[in-house]
Parts: sequence; structure tokens; C-alpha cells
Amino acid sequence: MKRIATAAIAAGLTALGLDPAAAQTKAPLTILRVIDADRYDPIRSTATAAVEALFMLADTLVSLDFDLKTVKPLLAKSWTVSPDGKTYTFDLRQDVKFCDGRPMTAADVVYSLKRWIDPAARSPVANRAGKVKEISAPDDHTVVYELQEPFSDLLYQLTLAFASVVDKASVETLGANFGVQGFNATGPYCWVSWTPRQELVMKKNPYYNWGPPMYQNPSPQVDQVVWKVVPEANTLMAAMQAKQADLTYYPPLFSIDTMKRVPGLTVQQQPDYIYDVFFAFRVNKPVSDDPAIRRAANMAINRDAIVKAVYFGHGTPLRSLLSPAVLDYDAKAAELLPHYDPAGAAKVLDEAGWKPGADGIRAKDGQRASFIVYGLRDDQNPRISEAMQADLRKVGLDMQVQLWDATVGWGKLATQEFDSFMMSYPYGTATEAMNLYFKSTQAPTPNRMNWKDARTDQLLEAAATAVDPAKRTEANAELQRQLTEANVWIPIATRQLWLVSSDRVGGARPHGLYGAGLYKGLDLTLKR
Amino acid sequence: MWRNVVQRLLLALPVLLGVLLLGFLLMQVVPNDPAVVRAGPTATVEVIEAIRRDLGLDKPLAVQFGLYLSRLLRGDLGISNINNMPVATELGNTVGPTLELMVASLVWSIPLGIAMGTVSAYRRHSWIDRIIMAVSVAGVSVPVFLLGLGLVWLFGFYWQVLPFTGRTGPIWTLEGLAGIALPALTLGGVFVGPVARMTRSAVLDVLGADHVRTARAKGVGERAVVLRHALRNALIPVVTLIGLQIGFLLGGAVVVETIFSWPGIGRLAVGAILSSDAPMAQGTIIILSVGFILINLAVDMLYAVLDPRVGQT
Repeated sequence: MKRIATAAIAAGLTALGLDPAAAQTKAPLTILRVIDADRYDPIRSTATAAVEALFMLADTLVSLDFDLKTVKPLLAKSWTVSPDGKTYTFDLRQDVKFCDGRPMTAADVVYSLKRWIDPAARSPVANRAGKVKEISAPDDHTVVYELQEPFSDLLYQLTLAFASVVDKASVETLGANFGVQGFNATGPYCWVSWTPRQELVMKKNPYYNWGPPMYQNPSPQVDQVVWKVVPEANTLMAAMQAKQADLTYYPPLFSIDTMKRVPGLTVQQQPDYIYDVFFAFRVNKPVSDDPAIRRAANMAINRDAIVKAVYFGHGTPLRSLLSPAVLDYDAKAAELLPHYDPAGAAKVLDEAGWKPGADGIRAKDGQRASFIVYGLRDDQNPRISEAMQADLRKVGLDMQVQLWDATVGWGKLATQEFDSFMMSYPYGTATEAMNLYFKSTQAPTPNRMNWKDARTDQLLEAAATAVDPAKRTEANAELQRQLTEANVWIPIATRQLWLVSSDRVGGARPHGLYGAGLYKGLDLTLKR
Repeated sequence: MWRNVVQRLLLALPVLLGVLLLGFLLMQVVPNDPAVVRAGPTATVEVIEAIRRDLGLDKPLAVQFGLYLSRLLRGDLGISNINNMPVATELGNTVGPTLELMVASLVWSIPLGIAMGTVSAYRRHSWIDRIIMAVSVAGVSVPVFLLGLGLVWLFGFYWQVLPFTGRTGPIWTLEGLAGIALPALTLGGVFVGPVARMTRSAVLDVLGADHVRTARAKGVGERAVVLRHALRNALIPVVTLIGLQIGFLLGGAVVVETIFSWPGIGRLAVGAILSSDAPMAQGTIIILSVGFILINLAVDMLYAVLDPRVGQT
């Protein structure tokens, strides 16, 4: 019956030229995502929704391999670092052209990087460039990046879209509308049009043949790419299953097992993806300033149960401050993280003088063991926080949950109202993650814990300015041990990146730098 | 009649001003800071403060509202806080698709609802009356998102015969018609039930009226009795309901536009409110308010067409 009805309806619509499957063969490569960016200006757009498109529209001096650790050439074919770690000299390719056909020179790189760090530009991510002394171009194909002090993370930071090389004329002509009404850079795809909240259309850069070496093809293989916004998760899932789109890495977690069984769909996971979910305490507030409370909370949380229930098995319990996949991960620090042990947690609280009250909630010196957690109301946080709340209540801790819509939430998380918060974030190195969140000068945001410790600052500085990789690893290891022992964070889970592609697409492989599932998208092909 | 129209439009101005003020104040009580939104989660306090100054958010509320009104009087709806696009351009891009969706929804659902209600009234207590009323009750009861997802599943996924991820082209093209079919079926679907029920009730009342009995006594055919004498006189409450429901359609459009990724003003309004994009949110409030006022005005004018006595009072 279904076949007859389907055939009859499909025949009717095909006769009218309305068959979606027939239309698809003529269509461009369509990528579905759930949210659009506010704009596509590399120095101002910090959302993954912007970065994932900017990686295709623009290039950086260096690129990052699929292992998310190894830096590879891109616009710079090679580079040298001075013995004191303060001067990076990049030798540029000489065959690079912008989308408008103009050859790229070192002056373009210098302009773009200086625009990134210009205080007047007010880039929220300018601090990622390190403490720059000068960026210069001694000739057309050499860029010298001089630092006031060594910055061990520099090459990694230069792989990010914030360090994209853009066309000065385009920036100046479009002004505040750069990345809104137009864009000109050297990426594998060129800007065609952007309809906010609907779609971003790109076409192949006809000159492009300088793709990074981890791709099999140095040139883009698809003529046109459309990034389409489908905010409703069920619609997105149905669109992939109905072959109305080619790719997505925003599948709802509950749908992944289903998608794996759908004929014609391929589901791949990026094993090295780093996007951690954690719970953090404000260490300068009553209750959460007590290390015993923090340690007991870490022991009371059942990560395995949370991940199983919330992520449908498509998340990984995080048993360390940082992901085991990250550069400078310290296994010994991970051993210091308390294991799930509710009885042990109760004992820690008893010994610290927190006694159960009539309602089961502990108190000490008239202070109830109660704290407020702020977080974003996304797909997972409500259920994670409810599970944590139940776990903590079992040992006599009262967690009051206050979750906010994503955009409202960032404002609330910039206040001083909460005692603890939940957050998730992508990162590339231990140095990056810990300098972002634990440096005393980063308080009150993004160091929302208000963790201010002289030894931490010393170690962060040592890791960030290390010239010798071994010294950097050593500093990062001590940092992880110190912060783990202080139980400032309760690591919860690592998110997984799943790339779903239709059988019309070839060469799809998940990348995941800054959450961008396709990175340059060079090997992508359309089979029909 | 035209004097009446002008009077109504002038009366709408204070309403619009009140709506603008209310919208502005509501944006202020939302616990959100556009500067933080724009700066991103890892920005420092200094950067956030600088962006706040750039956006003029450091000025007193009254000054901000005054500046907004003065710009509005010059025809300047402002610039989006979030993506720097002119609000008028964004509104221009989204009003069309929403109007398309509303027209496509109404063009089938109103005639169908009226036809169902009329047949149901004429054949009251018959099996067809029961079926039509059951369908109508279902139409009233089913939430719009459930109907939308059901249609996506049936036509988009199970049969794979219609697209459902956005506007596929202008409505006068075949591709455009295919793209709007499911959103229009969904939005119109929730409209059919109320119209059918109201029509049935109104037609039943009129069918028992003296002039209908007189028409029958004069030997007028049943078709003419129902269509000319009963239905036309029953339409005033139906038109009232349609006017009210069209206003609610704007609300339903938000849900439908989200399910079907339709690039309309509903999605724009929700996005602007959630991101505390005050100029954009205010722009959508103006458009939606003006739309609502004009729809009500049009309904009032239609009364006069249907019943000439209304225009004389």
C-alpha cells in the first residue's frame, strides 16, 4: 500500500517537476546546521557557527591535522622559530590568490594579523595572538611575527579562524558590513551570498590549489556549497533521512543510532575531538569556598550514569580536568580526581563539620550546604543538572539549578550572582584551556571561578612562555595536579562529534577544530 | 467610508506608540546584555564594556528610547546590534515570505472551512456532519508543531515527495509551490477547524430564520437558499473569527517557520528577542503591530461589504 501510494504521489510530482530527489541531483552540496552566526568577520565572530564557515572562506598561515594536534603548512610553506622563542618567521607560498584574483602578499598577512590585535578593533579574541611586539613583512613572501615573550601556543592559535588572512580593500570598502554583505579572502570557497538565519552560499575559489597537506586534494571538488539553517532538530534529522541535504554534524544525539541504520547515510565519529562539559565552583562564595564541599561534590557525582542517560551513549565520561586527547594531558593528575564514592563523600563532609539537618541538607555554623548553579538551557544541561542535583542531595548537598536561554545565559554568567556554573567549551591545548579559565587576570570572566592563586599564575605563565616543550609539559602537568586537587571543577563529559553524510557525498571526514566539523572541506565530492 | 478609515488609522497611532514603549521596556527587563552576547563567552570585562559603549547601551533608558523614536520619525528603523544589518532590510527580506505563507495558508483553509461548515449545517446530525465536526475538533485540538512534524514525517520522510527545509523559490514557480506546500498545509490546518465550526453554527442559525423560510416558500432552489440567503448572512461572525484568527496566525507562523526553516518575520522576531537585538526586535514589533491593526481594519471594512447596515452606523 505504501509503495503504491508513494509511487503514485512521486509520479505525480515528478510529472510536475517537483520531485525533491530529482531536484537534489542538480543541487549544490547542502550542509545543515541548527544555528547561524551573527556575522562572518574573523576577528569578531567567535561562535562555532561563524568559524565553521570561515575555515572554508579564508586561510590561515598554518593548519591543523585531523589529529587536532599537529600543525601543518597552509599559507606559510615553512617557518622557523628563534632560539629565544620570541620570533617566528614564516615563508609564504607565492601562488596564493584572493577570490577576486589578486595575488596575496606578506602585506596582506601583516594587515590581517594587525587588524586582529588592534585595540581599536576590539576583538574579543585578540588575547589569543600572544603579547605581540611587531608583525612585519621584510619582503613579499616573508612574515616576521615578534613577541614580547615566548608564547608556546602561538602556532596552534594561528590555525584558528581568528587569524584568517583577509583582503584589506574588501574590509575597508565594506566597513562594518564586512562579513555581512561580502567577504574576500583566499579560502577554498568564495562568498556568494548570505541570508541571515537561512543560508550562506559559497562557490569554489577557481584559483585554489594550496590546500593543506592532510587533504588528498589541494583544490575544492565541489562547485557550490550551501550552509542551510534548520533550527528544529527533528526536521534536521528527517531532512538527512529523506536525502534533502548532504551533510550535517549537528545530529540530535538521540538520532545517531537511527541514522546509522538508515541506508544511504554514513555516520562517522571524530575520535580526537575535544569539547568538554564541566561544572565549576566559585571559590570566593560561602559554601563553595570550602574545599571539603568541592571534594565531596566531586565524589558524589555519578558521571557514568549521567553520560548514559543524557548523551544516549554518545558522550564520554570525563575523569580528568582536561580531555585525555589534549596535548600535555597529565595522567597522574587524573588519578587525583576523586572517584565516584557517595559514602566517601558523606565521610568527607562529616569530617569537615557539615552535619545533616532535619531536611537532610547539611549545615555548618548556621550555614546550609546549599549553592546556586547557573548554566545554559541547551539540550543536555537540564538533565545533567537534574541528575547532579539528585546525586548531591543523597550526600546532603542542596544544589539549586537556574538555567537560562543561551543568549540570556552569557549575560547572567557575566554577573557575580551564582555560586557555581556549568559550561562546555572546545579547546586545543592544555595551555589554552587553563590560561583561559584559571589566570587571575581573567577573573571575573572567563575565570568565573574567581580562582586567584600566585602559584597557578606562575605555572600558567611558565607553560605559556615555555620555549622548551618539555618545560611546558611539566608546568601544565603541575597545573592540572594543583587544580584537580583543589576540586575547582567537576569534569563531567566530553562531547562527541558525529558527521552524517548522504551517499551522494564522497570524501567526508570529521575534523572538529573549534567545533568545525568539516574544516577546509577540500576532499568533499558530489557523486551525482 | 474613507473618513472612517482615516479615523481608525489615526486612532491606531497611540496604540502603536504604546506597543513601541512596551516592547522597549520588555527588552530592558529581559536579563540579557547585548554587549555580552556580541562579545562572546570568553571576552574580558574591558571588551564587554567597550562594546556596550559602542552600542550606546551606557546611556539612560529614556535617552535610548528618545533616540529610537526620533530615528523612527525620520524613517530610520536602525541597525541590528548583532549583525550590523539595517533593520529595514532584514524586515523587507522576511515580511514577504511570511505574507506568502499566510496567503498560501488562508487561500485553501478559509474556503475549505466555510464549505465544511456549510455542508455540516445543511446535513446536520447526519454521518457527514459527524465526520466533519470530528475533523474540525481534531483541527482545533492538534498543536501546530505536532501537525507540522506529522506532515514532515508523512510527505517529507515516509513518502519523500515534498521538501521541508526552507523556501525553495518564489511562490509562483513550481519549486516554490512545492516548498510552501507543507508549511501552508500546517498553518492552514489549524485554521480549518475553527472556521468550519463557526460557519456551521452561524449557518444553522440563519437556516431557521424567517427570510430563509420565505425564500423556500417562494420556491427558490435549495442551492440558492443555502448559498445566497443563508451563507451570506452567516458570514459576519465567520469574518470576525477569521480576522481574529489571522492575528493568531502570526503567532502560529513563528512555530511553523521554525519547523520548516521558513525565513519569515516570526523567526526573525524570536531570534532578535533571544539575542537582545533591541532595534531588530522593535522593528518586528512595529511590523506585527501594524499588520494586526491593518487586519482588524480590513475586517471592519469587510463587515460593511457583507452587511451595508454596518457602514451606515
